[in-house]
Amino acid sequence: MVRTGTRLAALSLALSMATLLVAHASPSAARTSQTSQTAQGAPQAEKRIVRLGATQSMDSMNPFLAVRVVSTSIHRWMYGFLTVPDSKTLKPGPDLAESWETSPDKLTWTFTMRAGATWSDGKPVTAQDAAWTFNKIMTDDGAKTANGPAVENFDTVTASDDRTLVIKTKKPQASMLELPIPIMPKHVWESVPDIGTYENEVYPAVGSGPYIAVEHKKNAYVRLKANPSYWRGAPAIDELHVIFYENPEAAIAGLKKGDIDWIGRLQGPQFEALAGDANITQWNTQGRRAAYLQFNPGAATADGEPIGDGHPALKDVRVRQAIHHAIDKKTLVEQAQNGLAVPADGSIIPPMYQEFFWKAEGEAAVTFDLAEANRILDEAGYAKGADGIRTMPEGGRKLEMRFSIHTDEPVEDKIAQYLTGWLKDIGIQLTTRRLDSNKFTEETGSTALYDIAISGWSVNPDPEEILATHLCSRRPTASGEGGGTESFFCDKEFERLYQEQLVELDRPARVKLIKQMQERLYTEAPVVAIYYPNNLEGYRKDRIASITPIPEDNGILYGGSSYWPVYTLRAVERAAAPAGSGSGIGTAVVVGVVVVLVLGAGGFLLMRRRRVSADDRE
Amino acid sequence: MSTTARTRRRAALTRFRRQYARQRAGLYGVAILLVAVLAALLAPLLTDPSGMDVTRATGARMAPPSMDFPLGTDESGRSVALMLLWGARVSLLIGFMSALLSMVIGTVFGIAAGHFRGWVAAVLMRVTDWFLVLPALVLAMVLAAILGGSPFTIILAIGVTSWASTARLIRAQTLAVEARPYIERSRALGAGHWHVMTRHVLPNVAPLVLANTTLMVASAIVTESTLAFLGAGSGQVSWGTMLRGSYDWGAATSGAWWYVLPPGLCIIAVVLAFTLCGRALETVLNPRLRGAS
Repeated sequence: MVRTGTRLAALSLALSMATLLVAHASPSAARTSQTSQTAQGAPQAEKRIVRLGATQSMDSMNPFLAVRVVSTSIHRWMYGFLTVPDSKTLKPGPDLAESWETSPDKLTWTFTMRAGATWSDGKPVTAQDAAWTFNKIMTDDGAKTANGPAVENFDTVTASDDRTLVIKTKKPQASMLELPIPIMPKHVWESVPDIGTYENEVYPAVGSGPYIAVEHKKNAYVRLKANPSYWRGAPAIDELHVIFYENPEAAIAGLKKGDIDWIGRLQGPQFEALAGDANITQWNTQGRRAAYLQFNPGAATADGEPIGDGHPALKDVRVRQAIHHAIDKKTLVEQAQNGLAVPADGSIIPPMYQEFFWKAEGEAAVTFDLAEANRILDEAGYAKGADGIRTMPEGGRKLEMRFSIHTDEPVEDKIAQYLTGWLKDIGIQLTTRRLDSNKFTEETGSTALYDIAISGWSVNPDPEEILATHLCSRRPTASGEGGGTESFFCDKEFERLYQEQLVELDRPARVKLIKQMQERLYTEAPVVAIYYPNNLEGYRKDRIASITPIPEDNGILYGGSSYWPVYTLRAVERAAAPAGSGSGIGTAVVVGVVVVLVLGAGGFLLMRRRRVSADDRE
Repeated sequence: MSTTARTRRRAALTRFRRQYARQRAGLYGVAILLVAVLAALLAPLLTDPSGMDVTRATGARMAPPSMDFPLGTDESGRSVALMLLWGARVSLLIGFMSALLSMVIGTVFGIAAGHFRGWVAAVLMRVTDWFLVLPALVLAMVLAAILGGSPFTIILAIGVTSWASTARLIRAQTLAVEARPYIERSRALGAGHWHVMTRHVLPNVAPLVLANTTLMVASAIVTESTLAFLGAGSGQVSWGTMLRGSYDWGAATSGAWWYVLPPGLCIIAVVLAFTLCGRALETVLNPRLRGAS
């Protein structure tokens, strides 16, 4: 239903594009410009401005509440963190904390805060600010919305002096250096009565990051200015505007017209629509997302009570593996993703995270082999009936399964078409169920009314969160509340490895444990990764001179977990901005005339029709 | 049935046929329909359905028309001509069945509301009014989304949302028929509600029902295509889902006219044919219209 709105919007866009074409054709309206509506009139000549398009809008300017990618990204640019992923290796590096050490019992972390870092209002950034931020989240339920789970294991957080922050944890915590929590200025936020409802719409905002928000118009744009007192030095541009679009097609049209200079997180067809435009650089690199299928492995609640109506055959790991053999990932990449993805030989961590990435090699790798899939199922006793559909070994129920996807997702539809074909060849009948996203989340996450479902995850530099989605404890509660499971998987071995990596502070040893967990997921197959979609973006080379991705080699521009790309952003120096005034009125006149014409014609036809039918009947 | 009644009916049928034959547009409509229905029925005999399976598609992606693929291929290399044939089955089936469903509901409601007066009619008509003012397309979308996507649910969704205007039409005709003296005569002779409704009212509104159904099929096919295009498809290839696919996979922007035009033209042709037939039927069956022409 949501996408229907988009579709209608696309239709209206098409209509308005048509009128724009008319506008271009008429000599009086030589240039059209929509920049006037974006941010305080036409850009001035001397300012170096870069405008980023986003197909989401801010959910909140309050970092304690914001969860969307666009919001957390903007907050990453406005506020410093204790640590930040290194721009080359993605390993944790210093940000507001210059250095850190752990106690021998691994329970006490001591951070030394950066000397000389200041808030944008001139006050120094101290350990008290950090301590206040963490304590606020630990003690105030309203402040837990965005990052509550990250501090669950914290015992106490104290600032022993201005530069020393001490965090004591209940159990060792290996992901301490990847806390997703921006440090907030205590002197500004202390006086906020209720964090849980606070909008933080005070400008200019007080921050410690490379940019400072100076204006936010809801659902329209956020205007950020370079922070001259940033500890690394001010960025090379003056302003960064983030402009919100309702749908991707409109954003693409905006990029082509020059209303925006840069857009990230594109889908294949939109990305391909940018090809051939001489002013646009297409950015196609490895992505941070994994797309996978989740099987219902006999779903149960966290207490072990069976729930849902998953097909009993899927409890059998051999059936799950046979289905894995029946998926031609290369074809799916070609056909569903237009080749803009990497077929998955591994599990749920994409190859972008070189350090943690694991893939099956040699004998262990599951290849596309329908004969092998049939052999596994024959051996396991699932005999084929006269109609070519297999039945359970003890007879009775046929292997007829449902494949749950989202409505209005052509890519998922295409995957469903291929899966249906391949599974038919191994004697499993698949029917596609299209569900709107709320129902989909409910049926695949808490009520377990599915057999096979499509899913995916954007993975952070630290993969703990995605691995945790396959823990027993993430299964729903007895009352049916979702715990965030991605598979209803519950496996002793996986559980043991997870607990071990949690407390393993030696990085290479932890990496090894995480790779073992992926191997376990690969062989037990509660989820089967199909591909890793590429990160697709586009920017105007006549506006952006250079930009450094994160990681610097083959990385992401927008949506990565660092300010590095926007900090390194350089605009093309321009002598003077084109004048865009007046033409807006011209467009409005043309649109008005067209509307009047259409309405008039419609009315005329309607009247005519009435008269004709009246004639007919008398 | 007495022999006189039979001969009278046969004569009426011959008269009807002769009068319909005078409607040239109506004949064109019938011809187009015959071709479409024959193609849909013969598709399983003439072609191999495995060509609809994407994993067995042999063509290149969005290949232009050629000897092997007279109407080119879609985004997965399937033959557009083959999809068009098989899509006709789904589109026509949904069109016919949902029009039928809508007519049945509409006729029952209309006759009942016209026959029973008082509070029964009031309740029935308020229900009808309620369905009349609901935005039918939106309601059908919601229904299709809740019920899930299969041809049966789409038939249900369209049928349930489109019967209201028919009910109003049938009620008006029922009121007119019931005002005739012979109804009163048969009541005096002891005819019950059921007898009056089925033996006297129904045969008299039947021509109207027939003409209206024909027009309804046309709008049902368009509704099915609209629903499929907006994402509430039946899960099987129909002309609407083909249009949807061509939009999703950018056929228009990549110049693949052979993927966009054929399903669109087929919808236009069949809808036009049904409309021509319906109009011709109306002209033949409605004495007032016949008198004018």
